[in-house]
Amino acid sequence: MSISLGVTEHPHGHLLYRGAEADVVLGDWQGLEAVFKIRKPLTYRLQVLDEAIRRQRTVHEAEMMHLAKSAGVCTPFLYNVDIQSSTLVMEFVRGVRVKDLVASLSGTQLDGTFFEFGGDVAKLHRFGIMHGDLTTANVVRSDGRLVFVDFGLSVRTTRIEDHGVDLRLIKETLVGAHPGASARALDALNRGYASVVGQARSRAVLKQLQNIERRGRYARVT
Amino acid sequence: MSTSLATSTVRRASCRPTMRRYVLGVESTAHTFSVSVVSSDGRILSNTKSVYLPPEGSGIHPFEASQKHLGAAPKVVADALETSGVSVGRLCAVAYAMGPGLGPCLRVGAVVARTLASSLRVPLIPVNHAVGHIELGCLLTDSKDPVVLLVSGGHTMILAYSDNRWRVLGESLDLTLGQLLDQFGRHHGLASPCGRAIEEAAASSSNYLRLPYSVKGNDVSFSGLLTASKVLLDGGVSFSDVSYSIQETAFAMVTEVTERALAFTGKKEVMIVGGVAANRRLSSMMCDMARRHSAVVAMTPLEYSGDCGAQIAWTGWLAHTCGIQIPVPESNVMQSWRLDRVDIPWRN
Repeated sequence: MSISLGVTEHPHGHLLYRGAEADVVLGDWQGLEAVFKIRKPLTYRLQVLDEAIRRQRTVHEAEMMHLAKSAGVCTPFLYNVDIQSSTLVMEFVRGVRVKDLVASLSGTQLDGTFFEFGGDVAKLHRFGIMHGDLTTANVVRSDGRLVFVDFGLSVRTTRIEDHGVDLRLIKETLVGAHPGASARALDALNRGYASVVGQARSRAVLKQLQNIERRGRYARVT
Repeated sequence: MSTSLATSTVRRASCRPTMRRYVLGVESTAHTFSVSVVSSDGRILSNTKSVYLPPEGSGIHPFEASQKHLGAAPKVVADALETSGVSVGRLCAVAYAMGPGLGPCLRVGAVVARTLASSLRVPLIPVNHAVGHIELGCLLTDSKDPVVLLVSGGHTMILAYSDNRWRVLGESLDLTLGQLLDQFGRHHGLASPCGRAIEEAAASSSNYLRLPYSVKGNDVSFSGLLTASKVLLDGGVSFSDVSYSIQETAFAMVTEVTERALAFTGKKEVMIVGGVAANRRLSSMMCDMARRHSAVVAMTPLEYSGDCGAQIAWTGWLAHTCGIQIPVPESNVMQSWRLDRVDIPWRN
């Protein structure tokens, strides 16, 4: 975790990670080692807007983490949902984020990881789930499997457009944060995606991804 | 291209005044025609402008704007040189905004720059306007390795430098923040740019109306927000209430995705550049957000946050230190020129 703040005291344990919208705290829940994902009030947002967003995302994330399992994709086990404090309590997944893994992977390992990544995303899509936040920081390699986290922005949808937006974000993250590995990783990701949803659907989603990129400013899509 | 000389040349030039060199830059991408002279040690010696103002209720008409620029150009160039106190013979290069922007406007700046460069027999340097915003921001705020929020009529992007490019970490999937505000303002009968009028109207309201809040991963989308805001206005809601609500919603979206980029990269500086950086509500939200991550927010001074010649002249100097130039016969303009396609050798 790139901005781990070390052992910072927190009511539930110690802070593992301060994300954009939540503090991730490692603590104890009924004798189990657990992660507390606490969506703290963001004071830059109007209170009424902020409360609505935090409550909606917390509840929604809990539902979608569960649903993703039905789609055949690994997500942490959920122990508790506390709407009052916008807190999710879940299993602590031991592993390394794909974000922190990319640089150390060999070519074939990169192919394997992103083929699997693409396949899992396709499983979500086939099940009508758009993850909505597919950065390399939100997928953890643990015990040989990929575990997907951060479903707060996910959407139930089968639209090609929404699935294209999902793939676009992975592409943006790879090109933006892992430029050296992006071409090969994307290629493997697309193959993995197609292996689950089939060539026709995969082509349609990639075509839509191009359309989305064209809408961006000054874009020249090749 | 002598890339390896980049930083050492800058440093050497800054400690030896006798070695100081001067670059003239021409900005002409949209409503502003501006010329600036900067010195190699990072001083802005002049920054004169002529700004095209469209009639009420409308946006920039590219041809009209270009005609205004054409008429203003000789005086703006002469003023910039005179204010700087640098005689034309001492210029070591002429830089121009090659893109992105409005074709007719870009061509005026290109013609002026080509003419100067050929008659003075100095290199002509193509500069990406958006890179110009960022590099000038870094010069003026002394930011070293920031997450950049570029918000203007032409851009809404969150960026960070890595591996020879400014990399896009998030952006708007449709309208830019400037377009959102301008199109909303014009719907109310204002002329572009409408940001200041909206900020003033918003200051007199605290009545928040729920509007679509659309964050898609690291990206934002403003088109639904624009439509909903127009519908409220058409339905008789006061301009100040809708202005307040559109600002609170759009700025919170932009702040959220900037926060995501900050958390993702682990960087400790945020820099806001571009015309919308002038908005105080946006900057206060950004400061509030950055505090949570122990990061500092760098604000480009108002005079230089919008389009100006200095951004082109300074970036032109940086490019010049790496030997970047373009032969006059090839010095076209590029209306669409994404900034993540531009190599940044001076940061290596």
